[in-house]
Amino acid sequence: MENGADRNARYGMVIDLDRCTGCGACAVACAVENNVPPARLQATDRTGLTWMRVYRADNGKAFPDNRTAFIPISCQHCGHHPPCVAVCPQNAVDVDPETGVVSQIPERCLGCRYCMVACPFHARYFNWFDPTWPKGMEAALNPDVSVRMRGVVEKCNLCHSRWQAAKAKAAAAGRRVIDPADYVPACVEACPEKAIAFGDLADPASDVTGLARSADAFRLLEELGTEPKMCFRSKREWVRRLGDTDVARPESEGSRG
Amino acid sequence: MDDALILRGARRCSAGKFLAWLAPWAALLGVGGFAILQCLVRGLNQTNMDNRFAFGLWIFLDLTVIALGAGAFFTGFLLYILRREELRAVINSAVVIGFICYSGAILVLMVDVGQPLRAWFTFWHPNVHSMLTEVTFCITCYLTVLAIEYLPILLKNRQLRKIPSFLVFEFELHKVMPVFAAVGAFLSFFHQGSLGGLYGVLRGRPFAFREGISIWPSTFFLFIVSAVATGPAFVLLTTWLVSKLSGKRLVKPEVFELLGRISGWLLVFYVGLKSLDTLVWLNRTAPGVGANPGQFFAAQPFGIWMLFVEIVLFGAAPALIFLSRRGRAGTGWLLAASFLACAGVATNRLVMTIQTLVVPTLKFEPYALYWPSWQEVATFLAVIAYGVILYSLSFRYLRLFPQERELQRG
Amino acid sequence: MFPGIYGFAWDAGHIIFLGVFYTVVAVVVTTLVRAAVRARADVKAGRIEELRWHAAFAELPSSSRRCRHELSGEVADRACENRFDCRDCAAHAEFVAKRSAAVRALPGGQTVAGFELPAGRLYHRGHTWVAEAPGGTLWVGLDDLGAHLVGAPDELDLPPVGARLAGNGTAWRVRKNGISIRVLAPVDGEVVAVGGPDLGWYLRILPDGGEPDVRNLLSAAEARPWLLREVERMQIALADEAVGAALADGGAPVEDLSKVISPRELDEVCGMVFLEP
Repeated sequence: MENGADRNARYGMVIDLDRCTGCGACAVACAVENNVPPARLQATDRTGLTWMRVYRADNGKAFPDNRTAFIPISCQHCGHHPPCVAVCPQNAVDVDPETGVVSQIPERCLGCRYCMVACPFHARYFNWFDPTWPKGMEAALNPDVSVRMRGVVEKCNLCHSRWQAAKAKAAAAGRRVIDPADYVPACVEACPEKAIAFGDLADPASDVTGLARSADAFRLLEELGTEPKMCFRSKREWVRRLGDTDVARPESEGSRG
Repeated sequence: MDDALILRGARRCSAGKFLAWLAPWAALLGVGGFAILQCLVRGLNQTNMDNRFAFGLWIFLDLTVIALGAGAFFTGFLLYILRREELRAVINSAVVIGFICYSGAILVLMVDVGQPLRAWFTFWHPNVHSMLTEVTFCITCYLTVLAIEYLPILLKNRQLRKIPSFLVFEFELHKVMPVFAAVGAFLSFFHQGSLGGLYGVLRGRPFAFREGISIWPSTFFLFIVSAVATGPAFVLLTTWLVSKLSGKRLVKPEVFELLGRISGWLLVFYVGLKSLDTLVWLNRTAPGVGANPGQFFAAQPFGIWMLFVEIVLFGAAPALIFLSRRGRAGTGWLLAASFLACAGVATNRLVMTIQTLVVPTLKFEPYALYWPSWQEVATFLAVIAYGVILYSLSFRYLRLFPQERELQRG
Repeated sequence: MFPGIYGFAWDAGHIIFLGVFYTVVAVVVTTLVRAAVRARADVKAGRIEELRWHAAFAELPSSSRRCRHELSGEVADRACENRFDCRDCAAHAEFVAKRSAAVRALPGGQTVAGFELPAGRLYHRGHTWVAEAPGGTLWVGLDDLGAHLVGAPDELDLPPVGARLAGNGTAWRVRKNGISIRVLAPVDGEVVAVGGPDLGWYLRILPDGGEPDVRNLLSAAEARPWLLREVERMQIALADEAVGAALADGGAPVEDLSKVISPRELDEVCGMVFLEP
């Protein structure tokens, strides 16, 4: 069914954690698509830019009952009062009503990092270094995505440039509504397990709508009330508990970020 | 050598000795200046802040000096609006300290942000719903007010007052000081509160998030009360320190006694409010979003002991000392209580800034710790050095303590 | 920040926030500008001397601001509330009315603690005296304590003939041992002649109006307790810190005090004596 031109979309994802192998292809594809500079030698795992980042968690039990899950986390595109939007002093966070995408405006960002403190999903990353590309690598830059400067915050914007391209394509064909097949974020495209389902949560015909409502779907930190548009699903109960606000962890030191 | 600049009747050490006093602070300022330059030129990777600890030592420093600098506005409010004339003895010193605290805080903020040249963006595109916008507007306005309050003190310098237009301008400015004191009190009320509001509105961080009244979380009010409670104590502490370093009696004992009493009552009020807030937070607010309060204190050194230290040792204890007659009678006790109170406000700001970020928000991420880099520490020390130098110059050439002259002899 | 800039909206949040901000800025700026404008008006109106005295008086230590009626024993403890300008002081008028005949009849022309206080002169708190001169003019000179303090001046900066003096404003300036001393004028008036320390008088003034208003000046009888107090204050100021306040018993004041005390001490004492903080 075609969504009417006057209805706004709410793009979201459902990531199947039972399929995710933690390969990191989504993270790499995201970096390539969005002109994320390669990490400096001095960068640590806490000063890098990883718009999509794969976390590892386990159920805290000892062998042979120990089980692991991988959780790819990007911006959760909160639907209700995103914490980062409310706190930015310069209105450098834009919520697009047409798509529901929460995007950062790096040209306006002051680099105060208040939004990073506000985001419970740690989805925002700061340019601690000047972005530099090794000689020759600049040829691989994506011309549709602007590069950012040092000292500003950046994060996932659901490959907004790809949405722009899909809109341009639809406009060229005289349509006002994009073809869903034309708008696929890089991470979704790259996943070898097809673990990420992407679509318009406001469109009843979309896959994600059904998946998001299924019994084994959950969202991270739902109790905070930010209504994230990124959902996860797993048949494993302990994996579904990973979204709890209660951060008490199992006795053994099995979790690491 | 610089006798012409020194006020009549004031006893000051020789110019050589003064330069010898300034030299190490100037060196510290130089080292800090170099660290600042490194951060500005090479980027904030020169610090140990990272994506987990987006706020670090500098934000803690900013919050603490602004809380301690509250002595400036509160003393002004007590003197010009509530007419407590005894505080005329310390108002000039308090204004200079306030000016140092706020200008130092803004200097550090300019290094802390990733793009300092874009600082004006907050004014051009303000997000009126953000606490940080409110803070920015308020502290900029308040620094202007402090500069205006500093001006008459400066214009009373022995040589400057000889210039007729300066003399007359100072006279007219002094007549309208209550207006600036009132504006300063109004602005300070809001930005001290908004600094608390910065943390209280963080719905994504159950450790920091608080309920409150309308758009203002309880931390808004707690920060105001803690700032006005410790402001007088800090004025007391600094006055004693200057008195000790200069070897002169600068204020009559009644002034200390008054400052102690004011601090004491406000501290009692603060401890009550804070205890109530802590109980509500741990028993209702945090569990209300599914958070487990026990997890907040799971990582040392930010254990539950720190909460008790902050409220009991650094809150209730100085309050009791200030309120007891015996406590106020002895300078030693007054000093100890002042120091504890100031330590309390620093601990509170530390907990809000750092512990908020230590505690994870996701079940599968670790607790993390943070240590500042040498550049951050050097910048911190540079601010202190700047403060000492500016205060020393003001003390030498301006009349910071009106009672000094009559206390000189007997 | 302004309508038309991205992010601005005419909603309650913006109106309240920016409204308060602009109000605060307006209050601060207008207050500052008003003070500056008034200051310029003051300078243009020639009120510099008057305001300098206002500011100086406010900064004097409380021991320098004792009311003349406290010094003469009429009241136990009173600080002057009118900048030594007894002409328009209501309390002074009351005290004068209440003054007993005995006080009014006290003789003058005595030596107080070694300093002369000739009768027939009226004394200003800034250690100048006035006496009647022919032609409705007044002699103005430096009193004995002031003369002993300053001695022979290194430089003397007298006002030119025809200059206007404001009461409690600057009369003349003296430089001694690198210290600059500003002597206050006892009355309003126009300078008709200038003298010097060797002549025994410094200025000859034609006062404004017919009858000069000298209510702010002390008679020789009143000046006695005042001078005693001044000498006491001077001794305390010059006392050795180790010794503290000591009582001088007899002796005569040194001709030129500036020769025997350090420039810093001279500076301090002159500030105290000539009412300049």
